[in-house]
Amino acid sequence: MNLDIQFKVGSKFRMSMIVLIAVGLIAIIAGFMTGEAHRTWANLLLNNYYFLSLAIGAIFWMTMQSITQSGWSSSYLRIPQAMGIYLLVSFVLWFIMFFGVHDLYHWTHPEAVENDPILLHKSGYLNLPFFSVRFVVFFLLWIFLSLRIRNLSIKEDTEGGTKFFEKAELTSKILIFVLAFSFSLFSIDWLMSLDAHWYSTIYAIKKFVSAFLHGTAIVAAIAVILHMQGYFPQLTKSHKADFQRYIFALSIIWGYMWLSQYLLIWYANIPEETVYYVPRIMTEYKTLFYAELILNWFIPFTFLMWNKIGKTNWGLLTIIAILIIGQWVELYMSIMPGTVEAHNITYIEIGSFLGYFGIFALVVAIALSKANLIPKKHPYLMESLHDDH
Amino acid sequence: MRTNILGIYDDEDVVLKAVDKLQDNGVKVADVMSPFPIHGIFEKLNLKTRMPLATFLYGTFGVIVVFAFLYWTSVVSYPLKFGGKPLNTLSFIIIIFVLTIFIGTLFTFLTYFIREKMYPGKEVTLPVPESTNDKFVIVVSKTEEMTDMDVKNINKLMKESGAVEIKESDVNYNS
Repeated sequence: MNLDIQFKVGSKFRMSMIVLIAVGLIAIIAGFMTGEAHRTWANLLLNNYYFLSLAIGAIFWMTMQSITQSGWSSSYLRIPQAMGIYLLVSFVLWFIMFFGVHDLYHWTHPEAVENDPILLHKSGYLNLPFFSVRFVVFFLLWIFLSLRIRNLSIKEDTEGGTKFFEKAELTSKILIFVLAFSFSLFSIDWLMSLDAHWYSTIYAIKKFVSAFLHGTAIVAAIAVILHMQGYFPQLTKSHKADFQRYIFALSIIWGYMWLSQYLLIWYANIPEETVYYVPRIMTEYKTLFYAELILNWFIPFTFLMWNKIGKTNWGLLTIIAILIIGQWVELYMSIMPGTVEAHNITYIEIGSFLGYFGIFALVVAIALSKANLIPKKHPYLMESLHDDH
Repeated sequence: MRTNILGIYDDEDVVLKAVDKLQDNGVKVADVMSPFPIHGIFEKLNLKTRMPLATFLYGTFGVIVVFAFLYWTSVVSYPLKFGGKPLNTLSFIIIIFVLTIFIGTLFTFLTYFIREKMYPGKEVTLPVPESTNDKFVIVVSKTEEMTDMDVKNINKLMKESGAVEIKESDVNYNS
């Protein structure tokens, strides 16, 4: 098998992604112009977080492959590496969010904190300077460590040997601890603090699992789509079954975390905790509240249990498409009830999502085209290329 | 009395290639014995199993039975309100979850033992006892229609594909 496969970004694909970005830009500008600034900020937060968590999840998946020394996945490692490049773009896009913090976060208003014992108590952690420092430090750590793994892997292509593989494994070991700590605090900072009076100790792990689940699903989707275009000739039923098992297991963990948060709050029934769920279940958000559970857990769990579905391209892609919607609904439910308090979906939601999708897809595609599509001197590559059972 | 032709090998990859070679020459491989599970051998031999389906059914059965039990105890037989929660509550889920895994596992395990006619203290009926240690065995059943030529041919194929020993045995290990 010829291992020198270079991915080329088609001009049609490039054009359509640029059109999507333009659509997103128009939707966002229109949102600000028509006096929907509040709603637009909420959507920018949603989309920034959405695609950041995909990149983080994919990087976490990649570190897992490295630490467990998995052979089957070694020819797909360039996909999460390329998704890691999106962090650079995401860093810039998140900076825009700082213009909107006063719009979104109640605790950033000093006059509100002064007269509020709960916010005053939290102000040692939730204050704008520390918040900004955390943001910058976390991003720099993620970018540094994930780029290091990518660079090691690209160097391995020319020099070979197990040296780079071992270094990447060590970096991965550091990265999982960094991610577990920093991404937890990151989701607390940007999402949980929207409802500043409320807290849940399991919120961060739920968001982390969600990122892992959806990031892995996107890695699988890119692998299958590129295979259908003829790029990954080695992709067999067995690889798809492995991706399927990953998604299946992670969707169970997602459901487990969802239940762990919901059940404890429901059971204890303390007003300061139930305040989070009351608007989500008792108002018009009800439909989306249940949709979140059905899309992210019930459908993947039920259908991927039947392993014939995951072994076909379209079966796997359909489930992943459902998960893509599922994550959007999940973040909508995390953000909107605490900010906009509207429960309809307007052109701002759709337009800004399309715009961010365009940026993400374009960045990942360009990053994929910058290096050989298969890490051709990976020590376990043969195991991946001949994984035909 | 059924007789089996046994080809004894001492390497996993050689066995996989030998199975291919035998099957390419039209020999039906009945079974492969190995000290550990070999990746891909199951699909190669075209074996069928209903074990996953059985586990699924046991799991479904578990969900229904455990829910029925919880419903009966806390709603029908001894309805006791506590914590202001409804009688038929969400907290059932945890018990259903745990017991479903338990019932699914236990019944699958029992099914396996019954189907394989295994029980504690059963006498070992392995034709090649080393197959639990460091040897791999390819089993081809010798049928009535086989001529001496066929048997010789199978012997030859096994030898060529790297068997360290070939023998015939009438130990009915699969009883």
